[in-house]
Amino acid sequence: MNFQFSIFKSQLPIVHDLGLTDYNEVFLLQKKIVSDKIAHQNKQDIILLVEHFPVFTLGKRGGMSNLIVSKEFLKSKKIKIIQTQRGGNITFHGPGQLVVYPIINLRKLKIGVADFVNFLEQIMLETCLDFGIKAHRNNKNHGIWVKKNKIGSLGLSIKKGISFHGFSLNIDMSLKPFTWINPCGIKQISMTSIKNELKKNNKSHINIDMKKIKQSIIKNFSI
Amino acid sequence: MKEINDLNLPENIKYTEQHEWAKKDGEIIIVGINDYAQDQLGDIVFVELPDIEDSFTQGEEFGTVESVKAVSEIYIPVSGEIIEINSELEEDPELVNTSPYDKGWIVKIKPSNLSELDNLFSKSEYLNMLKG
Repeated sequence: MNFQFSIFKSQLPIVHDLGLTDYNEVFLLQKKIVSDKIAHQNKQDIILLVEHFPVFTLGKRGGMSNLIVSKEFLKSKKIKIIQTQRGGNITFHGPGQLVVYPIINLRKLKIGVADFVNFLEQIMLETCLDFGIKAHRNNKNHGIWVKKNKIGSLGLSIKKGISFHGFSLNIDMSLKPFTWINPCGIKQISMTSIKNELKKNNKSHINIDMKKIKQSIIKNFSI
Repeated sequence: MKEINDLNLPENIKYTEQHEWAKKDGEIIIVGINDYAQDQLGDIVFVELPDIEDSFTQGEEFGTVESVKAVSEIYIPVSGEIIEINSELEEDPELVNTSPYDKGWIVKIKPSNLSELDNLFSKSEYLNMLKG
């Protein structure tokens, strides 16, 4: 499906840029916003932009079996594993990856979950394109890809028609921790980043600071 | 996505605001999610079922369904105790998509207060809510 227009008909969401923040702290904030939105249906939608300190998170249905290093090893690296209630499997967050949490009243916008996921994937695709990278969807595995490498992942929860959790786009980060897991539960998958792809295409001169990426994401939410 | 007029919404069952359905079958209530919900969710890959003998009050979360990387909560239409779960969904969660009112039922409950059924929507009331 091709979204010609934003799903937000009249009122665009408020964007909060939290910078580098602890995963649990942002999770608690999301929970608070969701409860508030359930109680007050007219509250404006919110998008949180954040980078996390290194952390592995599991989906509702787990993903521990897709951790391919020992827990002790992660302990030595001081990286925690957190169980979440979102969809999807194990993933990694770390500095240099932009994590976007759209807390949206889907019911009020009359958009279904499947269409919303499609919309979020479209935002990631457009953002990559803004930096000269042609990414694509994969029919079997949600998220977005550059050839056979994954560059953007997503996992959502829906409570009384309100979405939370969200998607992450690899910008300029160490991809090493992804080799310690089968990301999203898929074996032999390799991850990439915007920086990585620019390097491959001899476009390393293109400046990709986080500020520009955030501007691009916000723009793509609103068109 | 289906148009509202193309939805399969049987007359003889009740609907909730959160898109579940409840059907009275003698002394028990059969519960599932309706055609609108399954269509909006997309391909369902997992249904998290409660345990038999669990009790819930009307509107309380009793499980989740996972589709397209999203976990959505589902809510019990009437208060009561779970007496049967559709364990076929553990193997074939897509039954909720293909047969939401029949093979894709989710739980059966022994209601603690049958009059709660009166708080739920009829087909026409539910349709009005969707259109509203």
